[in-house]
Amino acid sequence: MLEIKNLHATVGGKEILKGINLTINAGEIHAIMGPNGAGKSTLSYVLAGRDGYEVTEGEVLYKGENLLALSPDERACHGIFLAFQYPVEIPGVASATFLKTAYNAQRKFRGEREVDAMEFLKLVREKTKELGINDDMLKRAVNVGFSGGEKKRNEVLQMALLEPDLMLLDETDSGLDIDALKIAADGINRLRSPKRAGLIITHYQRLLDYIIPDFVHVLADGKIVKSGDKSLALELEEKGYVALSAA
Amino acid sequence: MSNMKNLTPLAQTYLERFETARNSLPGHASPAVTSLRANGLARFAALDFPGRKVEEWRFTNLSPLTKGIEAAETPATSAIPTAEFDTPHVMTFINGRFSQADSTRDKLPEGLKLTSFAAEIDAGNSTLLDVDANDSRAVVALNTAFMEDGFVLIAEEGIASETPILIRFVSTAGTANNARHMRNVIRLGKKATVTLLEEHLGSDGHAYFANPVTEISLGEAARLNHYKLQVESNTAFHLANTDCEVPAGATYENFSLSTGARLSRNELTTRITGGKALTLLNGAYLMRGAQHCDTTTITRHLVPENDSRQVYKGILDEDAQGVFQGKIQIVKDAQKVSGDQLSRALLLSDRASVAVKPELEIHADDVKCSHGASSGELDEDAFFYLQSRGIDAKSARKMLIDAFLADVLEEISSETVRGYFANVTARWMDEV
Repeated sequence: MLEIKNLHATVGGKEILKGINLTINAGEIHAIMGPNGAGKSTLSYVLAGRDGYEVTEGEVLYKGENLLALSPDERACHGIFLAFQYPVEIPGVASATFLKTAYNAQRKFRGEREVDAMEFLKLVREKTKELGINDDMLKRAVNVGFSGGEKKRNEVLQMALLEPDLMLLDETDSGLDIDALKIAADGINRLRSPKRAGLIITHYQRLLDYIIPDFVHVLADGKIVKSGDKSLALELEEKGYVALSAA
Repeated sequence: MSNMKNLTPLAQTYLERFETARNSLPGHASPAVTSLRANGLARFAALDFPGRKVEEWRFTNLSPLTKGIEAAETPATSAIPTAEFDTPHVMTFINGRFSQADSTRDKLPEGLKLTSFAAEIDAGNSTLLDVDANDSRAVVALNTAFMEDGFVLIAEEGIASETPILIRFVSTAGTANNARHMRNVIRLGKKATVTLLEEHLGSDGHAYFANPVTEISLGEAARLNHYKLQVESNTAFHLANTDCEVPAGATYENFSLSTGARLSRNELTTRITGGKALTLLNGAYLMRGAQHCDTTTITRHLVPENDSRQVYKGILDEDAQGVFQGKIQIVKDAQKVSGDQLSRALLLSDRASVAVKPELEIHADDVKCSHGASSGELDEDAFFYLQSRGIDAKSARKMLIDAFLADVLEEISSETVRGYFANVTARWMDEV
């Protein structure tokens, strides 16, 4: 589904990614772990197409096509979803309006009929119920005044609605207490399927107790320095990044 | 007139025009009106249009107006647009004169009088001519000299008119007269409540100078919801002065939405003369091309225990310029007063700019005052967030502009006017 080949990227002229190679197949969940500043979030932004993240070398193929040629909204419409580490507060935009606009934009892109407000509300209520999320937040402005947990749950809700093919989860566990973490992990696990893939970016092993990855990679100084199965995460937790990066 | 050579070309034109115009202006048979006009002209001649050395006009350069406006390029005729705002009470002025054929006033409630200023002063109603001989505003003096027509709204004590009254000032092409010196008077009796929407419209390409002066006095505990939509021609000049006195228990709510004119200034002067009085001045301006829009407010708290709040938001694209000058004066002994002011501008282009000058003159010690100003570009984080969910750049931009305006539009207490203004802003954004 996703092939990253020798990816180099700069932010503000500074090279952050220094040759990443990673292949993710449908049905797989990969975890990328690494210390702060290793380039984890940069990788997620490059994949989602954020302005200011410049690819200087290498390529990224998504479903066999050149991902880097697409705008962020086109990437989303092709099934890429980035769950933000810090979901953005947007005063003045009601959550329900935002979700419906995004949902319909993606339907339109696929040549499907756009849904009306009633249909959408019904759909979104089903999802919130399924995920155990209070649908009060639909009435509020996007992420405004949300607690850290609510923001992350809102990301999971969006993902459940948009049903992406490739989930990019950037530090989804940060700022979550254990109950919120379980709700978020449960939402993500529900989306796991042989057709979908996921890339979990995390600093701590904790999230991986709830979302079991097929592969774990260690990112340090802009490169993947070690790959393995889920036991690598436990090893990291035990020995720390310094020991592994040096190895 | 020995100093005429030093005057701006447009001021000279007015001075020359006065002698012939005075005999056709309303009230010309009345010595009181004639002397008022003559005084206005003398004051204007002494002042001339303000240049940029005048502190209050530092950010708004009137020279494109004062060097003389060209009417030659205007189309021969243009249709009068139909009113989009739905209300049974409509008064229309076309090219500065009341048009009975385009007005419906028969459904107004008892105790509410809506008439033409020209008709009133021709009929000798001198009570409307409450002019301050020391007024230092040149365009107000010019208006006094040439005041032509306008609306007079008088509500008796306790009258509550739920349905908004629409006043339309329409400028069409095909007229040699390119000046609109409208004089409006609003008087509400005690506990009267009125909602009023003014529209200033003109067909693009038509160059003219609109110079409306509106004088408002409210009775105790009266409420005026005063809304204004300024969509003048893209080659027109619009310099409006609105003065309002807000006594005890009264509420003056003003909201101005501006998207038109080549150059416009909306100047609001409020004198708060009673306790428990509330003054709400809000507005939004949406400008593009080389448009210039100036909002100037002077809010004077003259007695204790009253509040004023102001929120202005601007969206400036291309080479557009915005100005916000907000002066809050609190005199000595006007304790327990609050005055809040906020000006925010969203710049959609590197070339757009906004100048903001808040001024707090506070001579009392037990008061709460604040002013805030910000200008910035679209929030890139929010923009990317929306895009990352599949919303294309154009729609994402529109959503964020919409969001930027949402809270100020919420300040409009009339639901129908709020909805109408939201449509106007949505249409403007469709052109982004």
